[in-house]
Amino acid sequence: MPWSKFQQDYAAPTGGRTISYCAAVREAIDQAMGHDPRVFAIGLDADDKFGVFGSMANLSHPERVLGTPIAENAMTGVALGAALSGLRPIHVHLRNDFLLVAMDQIVNYVAKWEDMFDRQVRVPLVIRSIIGRGWGCGAQHSQALHGLFAQVPGLKVVMPSTPYDVKGLFLASVADDSPVLFLEHRWLYKNTGDVPEAIYTLPFGKCQRLHAGEGLTVVAASLAAVHARLACEGNGLDVDLLDPRTIKPLDIDTIVASVRRTGRLLVVDYDFPFGGFAAEVCAQVAERAHGALRQAPVRICFPDRGMPASGILERAYYPTPERLAAAMQNLLDGAPVADDLLVGGGHGR
Amino acid sequence: MQRTHTIDREAVLWMLRRMRLIRQTSERIAKLYATDVMETPVHLCIGQEAVSVGLCRHLTDRDKLFLGHRTHGPALAKGLPLPKLMAELYGRTSGCSHAFGGSMHLIDTEHGLPGSSAIVGGSIALGVGAALASSLTGGGFLGVSYFGDAATNAGVFYESLNFAALRKLPVLFLCEDNGWSNVMPKSAHSAHDITSVAERFLPVLQADGTDVLSVFDRAGAAVQHVRAGNGPMLLHCRTKRWMKHQGPDRCDLPENAVDPARDCPIVKLEAFATRSGMVRADECAAIERAIEAEIDAAIAFAEASPFPTPELLEA
Ligand SMILES: Cc1ncc(C[n+]2csc(CCOP(=O)(O)OP(=O)(O)O)c2C)c(N)n1
Repeated sequence: MPWSKFQQDYAAPTGGRTISYCAAVREAIDQAMGHDPRVFAIGLDADDKFGVFGSMANLSHPERVLGTPIAENAMTGVALGAALSGLRPIHVHLRNDFLLVAMDQIVNYVAKWEDMFDRQVRVPLVIRSIIGRGWGCGAQHSQALHGLFAQVPGLKVVMPSTPYDVKGLFLASVADDSPVLFLEHRWLYKNTGDVPEAIYTLPFGKCQRLHAGEGLTVVAASLAAVHARLACEGNGLDVDLLDPRTIKPLDIDTIVASVRRTGRLLVVDYDFPFGGFAAEVCAQVAERAHGALRQAPVRICFPDRGMPASGILERAYYPTPERLAAAMQNLLDGAPVADDLLVGGGHGR
Repeated sequence: MQRTHTIDREAVLWMLRRMRLIRQTSERIAKLYATDVMETPVHLCIGQEAVSVGLCRHLTDRDKLFLGHRTHGPALAKGLPLPKLMAELYGRTSGCSHAFGGSMHLIDTEHGLPGSSAIVGGSIALGVGAALASSLTGGGFLGVSYFGDAATNAGVFYESLNFAALRKLPVLFLCEDNGWSNVMPKSAHSAHDITSVAERFLPVLQADGTDVLSVFDRAGAAVQHVRAGNGPMLLHCRTKRWMKHQGPDRCDLPENAVDPARDCPIVKLEAFATRSGMVRADECAAIERAIEAEIDAAIAFAEASPFPTPELLEA
C-alpha cells in the first residue's frame, strides 16, 4: 500500500515498451485507482465518451470517475472537502483556462488549507488540466498560466514533457499528501517514448537533462522542452538543456551548476513573460551565480498580450523549434539574440 | 397559443430572412470547414435559429447583447454584417474582431454586440452590468444575457439573477436550452428545472425555441416588461441542436433526430407565411436564392481581404 515504495531513479529508460504521452497518463490514472481505493477522478466531461482526449478512456474503475456540471469553483471545493475526508481526488479539467473560474477555491482554499491549520490536516488533491493551443482557439482557450499558479504558496506545479515523466510524476502527484497542479500539454499527447509497465513514481524538484553541452544552459519545460530539444538535436548545438519537470519545487541547484559551467542562460517558457516562470529562473540564477554569467540571461516567452485567433498571427505569436535554434545559435556565438526571436518574436515586451 | 404580439408581413419577412441567413451561412461553413480555410472551432446553431431571431426582432442597436461560445446565429440576428463574420472566420483583418477573436469572440459595437466569451457562464454577468449602466445613466437600453442550459449550472448565473432582481435592473436573461452540454444531456447536468429556479428571483416566460412565432411573441412580452422598468425577466426557449456540439457534422444522438415539420423553425415559418397568405412561395424561394448570393459575396470579401501581419501583435 505505501506509495513510497514505487520511487524510482529519475533517468529515463531505453529499449523498453513505447507508448504515447496520452497512454502514459491513462495508465497512471488507471494504476493509481487500482492501487489505492481512495483515489477517484472528478470533473466536467471526465466520464464522457471522449475520455478527456483519450486520457481517461476505458478505465478499470469507471465507478470512480464522476462527471460534473459546469461548476469549476464549487467542484474544486467539493474535491477539497473529499480530500479532507479521507479520499484522494483527481480533479480534471479539459483546459487550463477553466481553472481560472476556480481561482478562489484553488488559491484561497486548496493552497492555503494546510498552512492555515499548521498541517493538522493534509490535502492529497491532484488538479489535472490540459494546456491547449492553436486552431484559432484564441485568448480564452490557449493559456498555460503555470507562472501564475507557481506564485501561490501551497501548490506544487508539475508539467512533464515526456511519456516516462508524465506517468511517474502523475503517480507521484497522487501519492503526495499535498495539493499538486498537474499540467499536461495537448500537443504532447501523441508523442511516444519508453514507459515501464509497472507502477513507479518520480521525485519532484529534479531536472532532467535532455541534451548535454557546454556553451549555453537552456531551461524549458513541457512543450517548450520538446521544442528546445528538437532545436538542439536538429542543429547539433552545444547546449545543456534542462527540463525542470516541476516548476515548483524548482531544481535551481542543477540549473545554477550548469550556468556556472556554460556562463550563459536562456529560459524558454511557453507562458506570459511578466513575473512568470522564466523571470523567476533568471532572478534566482542572478541571485546565486551572477558572476558566472558572461552575458545577460535571455527569456523567450509569449508576447505580453492575449493569444490571437488568426492562423497567421498564431504562427507569429508562438515560438517554434526553428526560432529557438536561431536564438540559441546567437547566444552560442556570444551575440545578442536577434529582436525578432525574443518574447514571441520581439513583440509586446 | 394566445398571441400578445401581432405579427405582420414585414416582421415575417425579416425573421424569415434572418433565419435563412443564419441557416444557410451555417450550412456553408459546415461545407467549407473540411477545406481548412477557417482555422477556428465552430459551434453552429442549425435548428436553433428561431431563438435569436425571435428575440432580436424586438431589440434595438442600443440594446447590448452578450453571448457565449455559440455566437454566429445570435450575432447575425443582432445585425453583425455577414462579411465581417466570414472574414473573422477566415482570419482576416477585415473580420469583426480584426482576426484576433475567431469564431467564439465576435463583436459589433454599432449593433449592440459588445463581445462574446468562450468561458461558459461569465458573460451572463456582463448583460447585468450593461443593465446597471443603463439604469445608472438613464440610458434607456437593455442588457441581454444570452446563454445555454448548461450555463445555469455555474454560480455566476444565480449571482447575476439575484443582483439583477435586487436592483430591478433592465436585463433580459435569454436561456437557449438545446438540452445538451456537449455530449452530456440536461438530465446529467441539472438537478434543477431552470425556469422554476429562476422564478425564485424574477418572472419567467417560456417559448418554443423551434418556432419563431412563439419566441417572437414571448420575447416581445419580455422586452416590453423590462423596457417599461418592471425589472429583469428570464425567457426560456426550449430548442433542438441539430449539429454536434462543435464542428461541421450532424449530431448522431438518437434523441436529436430531426423531423423538419416538427423541429425546423424555417419550415414552420414558411408554412405559416404561405398558408396565411402573408408571403408567397416564390417569395420564399427568392429569399433563399438572395441569401446564397449574399453568402457568396461575403466569402469573396473574406478571401479578398488581407491576412494580418505579425507586426499587429505589437502592443
Ligand atoms: C467554465 C467552462 N467550463 C467548461 C467549458 C467547456 N465547454 C464549452 S461549451 C460547453 C457546453 C455548454 O453548454 P450550454 O451552456 O448548454 O451551451 P450550448 O453549447 O448547448 O449552446 C462546455 C462544457 C467552458 N467553455 N467553460
